[in-house]
Amino acid sequence: MQSEVDSSISVTASRPSTLRPRRGDDGRVVPPRRHKQHPRLPYLLVLPAMLAVIAYMAYPLYRMVILTTHKTQLAGRFAPVPPPPKFVGWQNFKTVLTDGTFWQVVLNTVVFTVTAVALSMLISLAVALLMRRVSGWARIVLTISLVFVWAVPTIVATQVFAWLFDSDFGIVNALIDKLPGVYFQNHSWFSTSLQGWFVITALVLWGAIPFLALTLYAGLTQVPLELVEAATIDGANSWHVLRSVLLPVLRPLLIIATTLSAIWDFNVFNQIFALRNTQPEKSYWTIGIYAYEKAFVQSDYNTGATISLLTMVLLLGVMVFYVRQMITIGEAD
Amino acid sequence: MAVDSLATRTVATSDDTSRTRPLRAVGRRRRRTTWVWNTIAVVLAIVLFFPVYWMIVTAFRPASQILTFHPNLIPLHATFSNFDSAIHAPNFLDDLRNSLIITGVTVVGGIFVGFLGALALARFVFAGRRAVILILLGVQMVPAVAIIIPIYLQLQTWHQTNQLSGVILSYIVLLLPFTTWMLRGFIANVPRELDEAALVDGCSRWQTFTKILLPLTLPGLVAAAIYGFIQSWNEFFLINILNNSPDKQNLMVWLVSNQTAHGTFWGPLMAGATLSSVPVVIFFLIIQKNVTMGLTAGAVKG
Repeated sequence: MQSEVDSSISVTASRPSTLRPRRGDDGRVVPPRRHKQHPRLPYLLVLPAMLAVIAYMAYPLYRMVILTTHKTQLAGRFAPVPPPPKFVGWQNFKTVLTDGTFWQVVLNTVVFTVTAVALSMLISLAVALLMRRVSGWARIVLTISLVFVWAVPTIVATQVFAWLFDSDFGIVNALIDKLPGVYFQNHSWFSTSLQGWFVITALVLWGAIPFLALTLYAGLTQVPLELVEAATIDGANSWHVLRSVLLPVLRPLLIIATTLSAIWDFNVFNQIFALRNTQPEKSYWTIGIYAYEKAFVQSDYNTGATISLLTMVLLLGVMVFYVRQMITIGEAD
Repeated sequence: MAVDSLATRTVATSDDTSRTRPLRAVGRRRRRTTWVWNTIAVVLAIVLFFPVYWMIVTAFRPASQILTFHPNLIPLHATFSNFDSAIHAPNFLDDLRNSLIITGVTVVGGIFVGFLGALALARFVFAGRRAVILILLGVQMVPAVAIIIPIYLQLQTWHQTNQLSGVILSYIVLLLPFTTWMLRGFIANVPRELDEAALVDGCSRWQTFTKILLPLTLPGLVAAAIYGFIQSWNEFFLINILNNSPDKQNLMVWLVSNQTAHGTFWGPLMAGATLSSVPVVIFFLIIQKNVTMGLTAGAVKG
């Protein structure tokens, strides 16, 4: 290896101008390599990472497909060794798709995702625009607050929100109770699912806004000032500037942020699971929680895996949609 | 796992420097309304920060001031008794130790494997490079919530459930795409001319690596390590499913299980929450500076 390196150095260092362009097997010019490489080295370098990913992710993915087409038979009193899983074809999918709870759960998830994504994008954009407008010191105060909120672990945030909205001694009830004519002591936020979802959404928004707002603000600082100035001189008011200058420039970033939020919110689990003391009531189930209930509470791995696979297909649809949209944007530019 | 927030934390570009100067054309009108916007910004900052404030205030409060219908917004009479009962609560020290072991091994293992992969992606042209990138990005796209069932069964057949090692393996793999991608960027930012100059000056390949590439990518390694630390420290979903015993959990599971016990002792719980946030918050503040720091700026110029 040492000699290879040395020879390549002498070539590039002593007579680079006389080098003829190297041609590959198909006769096309190959960009000159900087130094000759050990041909197997890059493969050795990526091997551990690839092995880990394939053993840990690729094989389980395959196993998941197998799970969805089989029925695991449990060990019983008369069969201490569980019999091998039985092939059942589409039966699991039929069971899940004709199950009323599944559709209720899908509805919960979709409504929550749409609401949370729309709200977090709107609020974050508003915060980013606000940061653009305020004086330097106010921006620093807001940034510090956002960064601290961002740094708080999700589970810690969940426990803090459980405390804020506690029915007995929560500060939120105490503050609302101070309003004239409102009695809010011992108000339980999770007795009706609408209020419960309000708390869950508030918690998810609180965790999501710092990242989104700071990213969008960073995007806004990239908008050339000349562009805004030109529009203003041409008589555009702030609304016009926002709609015709800022938003078009921000568009790719907005789409990426929206996609990411959609994926996160669709898979929301921890916040609901922890907020409801690890046993969420049915009205707070999302697809992820439903799959968890089936697999790890009822030990029905086949149905759980089927639900998970359907989730992934649903999500894949969202991803493909956005990838296509991003490609069309790329072509339009 | 925390893959969903993987992309989030490095884009930590809190840009304090005011690049948006008020425009001359609208300057005067703007200046009059600026104080209104400033007030809104400060109120917003306070509202957003309030949950963090309330957690800390509660953590330092005696129980008599916590369990009241008329809580005082301003802290009085700080006490450490909540921290004392949190630390001496069942399993706290076990789970703290687990958190430290899991994050430590995950960070070292993840950085090592990730750095090798990043080196291949950033410095070599090889057949299948694109496939490797696609696989890594694909893995990152798959949410842990969707794939947990087969992973659980897989680890079960390897006798890795209810073990710290199973959790560590999971975290390393799930952090791998992001670690590799992040480090690849840092390596690619070191100009190849520096490698070559070192080779010309008679360094061996290995010396070039240890004397040029490693020191110059050190900020990247630190950032990736801190990032991995934050992610595995905060993880709840996987470890909660993979491990059953209360003494095989991390601090996040401890926090959640504490609420279910018999009623909730909010004071000690908030003290535990504060304690488990402190390392993450500190590291998070560091990573922000480190990511934005460009060590090689001007390395080729002179």
